[in-house]
Amino acid sequence: MATTTATLTISSTDLLSDELALSTTATLTSAGNSTGLTGTNGLARKTVAGGHAQYTLFAAASHTDDKAHKVYLKNMSTTAAEFFLISIHDVEVGRIYAGDWALIPWSADTTGDDADFKIDPSANDMTLEYMLFTDE
Amino acid sequence: MATTTAAVTLTSDLLSDNMSVSASTTCMKAGTTADGIDQIEYGYVEVATGDEYDLIATTPTAAKASKLFVKNHSIDETYYIAITQNSQAIGRLYAGDWMFIPADFHDAAADIAITSNGGTNKVEYALFHEGTALTTT
Repeated sequence: MATTTATLTISSTDLLSDELALSTTATLTSAGNSTGLTGTNGLARKTVAGGHAQYTLFAAASHTDDKAHKVYLKNMSTTAAEFFLISIHDVEVGRIYAGDWALIPWSADTTGDDADFKIDPSANDMTLEYMLFTDE
Repeated sequence: MATTTAAVTLTSDLLSDNMSVSASTTCMKAGTTADGIDQIEYGYVEVATGDEYDLIATTPTAAKASKLFVKNHSIDETYYIAITQNSQAIGRLYAGDWMFIPADFHDAAADIAITSNGGTNKVEYALFHEGTALTTT
């Protein structure tokens, strides 16, 4: 069985009066059991030359819905104002600004409207690093 | 300005080439490198099965660089919380899973909501944001 782990560390010495030092590790497993996730598209990069427009990064119909998929994203831009707007179907989840990363659970739900995973770069020639861990 | 750093390391032997991906970011306000995110809402709740609950009770300023951390502390592997936004299924956090996502809060309906499944889930969360609209009494 493959083992995939995700470790998060959030730290700050001046956000609160008490130092913030949050650390947690998850072993990424399939829905409802302890079997490790079995699929990935590998680490990838895409430069979106066309700029501001919405693109489908992952189509829900291509994956088993309502599982424990995870999506890793990183905005490789170094221009502070540049962001990728992340949407699931037509719902805006949030913005990943230059240098920011995210680990997002993805249902790939196909009940009703497909929960396609979409990106919308705010400028031309922005590069996204991404990886999908699948639970099929 | 406050300085908050968020780092992730992903390791896996799924591929023939053992993977180890690391990334770190300083959580800045939207569109700047000069001013860090300086507000936080941090909590821990137990969520019974059944109803859907807004995880964040106040509405952060929309279209900013807010970030949301959520961890499911349940230990029963069949338990999970379903994450939805504006009734759209986003994903599921099973026991032990965590997420660190951007949070746009682009309108009043865009709250992050959770539904507990399997049993009572124990949920830790932290919202790093640029301001919230408090409800007047």
